Amino acid sequence: MGRLSWRLAEVAEVRQETPRVVSIALDVPDWEGHRPGQHVDVRLTAEDGYQAERAYSIASAPAGERGSRIELTVERLEDGEVSPYLAGELRKGDQLELRGPVGGYFVWEPDRGGPLLLVAGGSGVVPLMAMLRRRAAAGSQVPARLLYSSRTLEDVIYREELDRLAAASDGLTVTHALTRAQPPGWTGYARRIDAVMLEEVGWPPGERPLAYVCGPTRLVEVVAGHLVALGHDPARVRTERFGPTGVP
Amino acid sequence: MDETDLRLDGNALAGMLADVFGFEMTVERGGCAGCGAVNQLGAMLVYAHGMGAVACCPACGQHVLRIAQGEGRWWLDLRGLAWLQLDERAKMGV
Repeated sequence: MGRLSWRLAEVAEVRQETPRVVSIALDVPDWEGHRPGQHVDVRLTAEDGYQAERAYSIASAPAGERGSRIELTVERLEDGEVSPYLAGELRKGDQLELRGPVGGYFVWEPDRGGPLLLVAGGSGVVPLMAMLRRRAAAGSQVPARLLYSSRTLEDVIYREELDRLAAASDGLTVTHALTRAQPPGWTGYARRIDAVMLEEVGWPPGERPLAYVCGPTRLVEVVAGHLVALGHDPARVRTERFGPTGVP
Repeated sequence: MDETDLRLDGNALAGMLADVFGFEMTVERGGCAGCGAVNQLGAMLVYAHGMGAVACCPACGQHVLRIAQGEGRWWLDLRGLAWLQLDERAKMGV
């Protein structure tokens, strides 16, 4: 009750998603559930007592009553203080200190409706994936479009699962932009997200979509700026800036 | 990299603020003491480094909240907020 404090979680599984990204399944005793888009803070303590904490989005959909298991997806940043450990050293059975779930601002649940426009750069797809997983699990028919920018095809996180979700023909479309290299025969976008792309992929402003934009700070600010310039209501454009991390 | 790259959303302070206040603060509204703009704390612009952070009004850039932690203490400077509204429904653990 009351204040939120740190608690211990145990690593149940570490799975490689891309060369630089892992998903970490955690068992959190007495987990009270979460909402898609929320995050946890992870705290590491060095032997000399030095502590570093970072926020990581929860990738998994709420698991309902059986759920003491959550999943985080973490990108390794070469000069990072926390991510090299999480994405390189962490093993099944290790313990992690975390605080959460927190965040009520960047949250979507099926009863909020749509249409939904999700825009991600790199690992910014993580909280949006929690929303899409929740949408699929709930059998929601809210129309949704994901525009997802990555450096190369190998850097696309959740690629197969996104293909599967899009193939379900339940109102979700997934559009990729590959900014650095494209495989032979690539028919998708081959540049950074720009206003033209947002107009082609997104909803007309008159449909009053709910937009969630997540990724490196620069990408988020460029995308949010374009959306507002295209005529979208700023109050319906929500952002989550990741900081200077992994510019796709 | 410049200052722009380091900018985050108020959402990034959710854990720290929940620890201090016991509310899901990112959905709470506050009024800027500088320009009067009303925003949810999750929509503020945040610069974080080390164990502290400053949140700025997205309309005028005024510092609305400063928070730091260390040696078993929290420090808060709220003079940039004219007011802050806490909704009972956003209380943690309710």
